[in-house]
Amino acid sequence: MPTRRLVLQTGLATIAAPALVRAQGLSGSITLMSYSGIFQDNYVKAVVERFQQAFPGVKVNYVPGGTSAQMVGSVRAQKADPQVDVAIMDVTTSSIGNIEGLFEKLTPAEVPSLNELHPEARAAGGDYGPAVTFDHLVLVYDTQNLKPPIEKLADLWRPDLKGQVALAAPPNIQGLALTAMVEKMEGGDYRKSIDAAIKKLRALAPSVNTFEPNPDGYSLILNGVVKVATGWNARAQLYGDQTGGKIAALLPPEGSVFQINTINLTAGSKNRAAAIAFVNFALAQAAQKAFTERMFYAPTNAKAAIDAKALARTAAAPESRGRMIGVDWNEVLKMRDQWNNRWRREVIAAAGR
Amino acid sequence: MTAGSRLPWLVVPAALLLLAVYVWPTLGLFRTAFNEVGPTGAMIEAWSLKTTGEVLADSFTIELTLNSLWLSLSATLIALCMAYPVSLFLFRTQSRFRGLLAVIAIMPMLVSGVVRVFGWLAILGDRGLVNSLAQWLGLISTPMRLVFNWTGVTIGLAESIMPYMILALLAGFGRLDRTLEEAARSLGCTPLRTFLRVTLPLSLPALALAAGLGFVLSMSAYITPKLLGGGRVFVLATEIFEQATTNTNWPVAAVLAIYTLVLLLALLMFSNVAARRLQR
Amino acid sequence: MSYLELAGLQKRYRDSVAVDDVALSVEKGEAVALLGPSGCGKTTTLRMLAGLIDPDAGSIRLDGAEITRQPAHKRNMGYVFQSYALFPHLSVARNVGFGLEERRVPRPETARRVEEALGMVRLSGLEGRRPRELSGGQQQRVALARALVIRPSVLLLDESLSNLDAKLRDAMRHEIRDIQRSLGITTLFVTHDQVEALTMCDRIAVMKRGRIEQIGTPEDIYERPATRFVADFVGRANVLPAMRNGAGAISVWGVTLPATAPADGEVDVFVRPQRIRLAASGEPSGEGMVQLTGRVLRSVFVGDHVEVIVEGAGGQLSVEMQSGTKPPAAGTEVAVLWQAGDTLLFPREAT
Repeated sequence: MPTRRLVLQTGLATIAAPALVRAQGLSGSITLMSYSGIFQDNYVKAVVERFQQAFPGVKVNYVPGGTSAQMVGSVRAQKADPQVDVAIMDVTTSSIGNIEGLFEKLTPAEVPSLNELHPEARAAGGDYGPAVTFDHLVLVYDTQNLKPPIEKLADLWRPDLKGQVALAAPPNIQGLALTAMVEKMEGGDYRKSIDAAIKKLRALAPSVNTFEPNPDGYSLILNGVVKVATGWNARAQLYGDQTGGKIAALLPPEGSVFQINTINLTAGSKNRAAAIAFVNFALAQAAQKAFTERMFYAPTNAKAAIDAKALARTAAAPESRGRMIGVDWNEVLKMRDQWNNRWRREVIAAAGR
Repeated sequence: MTAGSRLPWLVVPAALLLLAVYVWPTLGLFRTAFNEVGPTGAMIEAWSLKTTGEVLADSFTIELTLNSLWLSLSATLIALCMAYPVSLFLFRTQSRFRGLLAVIAIMPMLVSGVVRVFGWLAILGDRGLVNSLAQWLGLISTPMRLVFNWTGVTIGLAESIMPYMILALLAGFGRLDRTLEEAARSLGCTPLRTFLRVTLPLSLPALALAAGLGFVLSMSAYITPKLLGGGRVFVLATEIFEQATTNTNWPVAAVLAIYTLVLLLALLMFSNVAARRLQR
Repeated sequence: MSYLELAGLQKRYRDSVAVDDVALSVEKGEAVALLGPSGCGKTTTLRMLAGLIDPDAGSIRLDGAEITRQPAHKRNMGYVFQSYALFPHLSVARNVGFGLEERRVPRPETARRVEEALGMVRLSGLEGRRPRELSGGQQQRVALARALVIRPSVLLLDESLSNLDAKLRDAMRHEIRDIQRSLGITTLFVTHDQVEALTMCDRIAVMKRGRIEQIGTPEDIYERPATRFVADFVGRANVLPAMRNGAGAISVWGVTLPATAPADGEVDVFVRPQRIRLAASGEPSGEGMVQLTGRVLRSVFVGDHVEVIVEGAGGQLSVEMQSGTKPPAAGTEVAVLWQAGDTLLFPREAT
């Protein structure tokens, strides 16, 4: 009669000490799907392992899911029989999942950490999964071979960089972010028009080595293929450390755009209680602090006490915050196809076949 | 039990496998094509031709089609020019290393497409083998753009389809016979005339077969255009991939996939008819 | 100097010699057969003549001109391949006209000559067919017409009849011989079939292991084989082990022959079965005849002759009797007779 005994124990414990009991009472396994590579390595170390210490009964399977779009595709394909309990992905794709009913709404009653989040972190997911990390677009450059180093976004148009630039064109969100940034640099507002950005980017096109960096811009710089690339701050910081400073990240003074990863609870999760516990844990101060200090994603928990040195390397640093351009990704999504077309016909076409 | 009545049972495993891995997903693909897409990319379950209409009306679809056809044509022709002499040699050689040589010729098939592409980057890049050599020889002062553009994709694709074409040629050289070439020589043909009047006409069915195969493979190739194209080469296969895995736009990806499928079937039928006519 | 001269011709393949020091002179209009078992180098010799393979040594002269290193397409040799080698993608007319087109013969003349050649091989009316729509014999004729229409300096036939059935082969033999004679075309004919060689050619060169064993007219080869190999390979022969008895004389089945052994060592006696006559035992032998005695073992009716097997003191021999004559019954004692001049003596070969 193991079941009855378990129920009995659980019941008794609930009366005795609610918090402790909840931790001990949870069991089984949950599947977490997110990015592979260094994100996985660091997230497992900073968050997953801590969670498992706190909840020894729960086993977390980390499944690399490819790109955000591939992840939402997986969840979509498993709608009838979900295999994933929690998914961390870009806000542009999680919002698709929210609309399609693939993810559940979250309430502070079930997920108390929600109350500690920055307002924009809550806003990113609406009633659904909130932001779990903030990142931002940076210009990554070769510190050894690029003299002088770049100091601003406008430096991309420097003649000595001809053929030395790698940037990810739309529909990649780096390209979307860059479009908004260049429009701002040109004094415009992406919500109204991107004409100025397209015109300026068209002039940049001949300098571009590749519009689709593979495997990514950081590697292309490290392999000497290009000298400057668009990239994400967190990864650029980490790669910079790992290579002894061969590459560096620049937050352009002209402004940058947040990239937001949200944490999402799959509708129909087979181990919902454990999954909710994980979401709450991932958003809580300890996990946020650990991950930021490890990988330089800005925290979404406002109360997390982050080491000042680490914080300075994220977009959460006060001087960085001021430079951020408020981009509503849901608005950008609606314009994505149109931006994409303009890039293909006006920007990439100007780069020659 | 006769062999005839047993035969259907022998094809059951293959049929089931096909059903599971091909027919079922294809039906799913057709189903998806009737769905619509919301303004932010969310899929709306529907039975409508809205997505199909939008894709077919988009001038970019025509551009993609022409790009795909042009890329496949040029890659196939280049690969054919390289594969034909190699296959002729392999077909004729009496060398005891023939088996080994054949394996070497089709070796690239055994290497993953991604690895091969990075090999090409090392050869065609700005600081790659070709540019370094040309600069060292003083032929050029600034590197030529050989990769992250159409040139790179065409070269890479031609190389990746070549082994398949060599196999198709070797399989198709049925009527080619050394004695026929000797007959032509004895009747007054120079080696060149022998090639033009005997070898080439008799290889035409094989060439048609290989070209058809190479073309279809090129049309559906996406790794090479994606990794060597530098974001400048837009073809149907990369667009399907992009729509499905970056835009999360499954309905558009499905419509494009079916469109490509129909295009390929039409091309295959055409090449079959052509090959049969040449066989006569 | 003859029309076609081969001298010291040699071809090696890795560790074996395919053709070794072959010399041959062929007169204009003559038909010569290269006869030998498979692998004797006869086809290799023919291919060197056509320029399809290069000799390692030696020379080929045609009408006084050195052509040893001349490429095949300049030699003007008409080659008829064993497999016919008709171009499957061309019609019969285009196949036959192929060599003329290569020679840029004007179109009307090409058409006329193709028609003439097809008429000669009795294939008129099949111009538009594809080779695979023809029978083996018809394909053979197309191949012949194609080789003849270019008016070749030499016609080379490589086992050209071996793919035909027996009856058709007989007919084609005569047809080709007639055409060859009427055109007066110099012809080299490779075959392993002695009947082909004997009936179609003015002279025969018998080849063995890359070398020519004997060259001569069919009668020479048949009646006066120079070597044991030739005697054995051309026609049938009874091989009777001979005994030496003292002073150079030899005996077979205990009967001393009116011949002297050529050298020391063991010898065999060769006698053609059709040169042997059977007679009643005890009948006196004529002048210059060899006579043995034996017992009839059995007779076999072969159609055009009857083969009688006779057993004697030293083994068996076979006798060909004309069809229609009644062979002696089995068990009958008989005398075995032949002209002393029909006795061939060859040293015994180590086996």
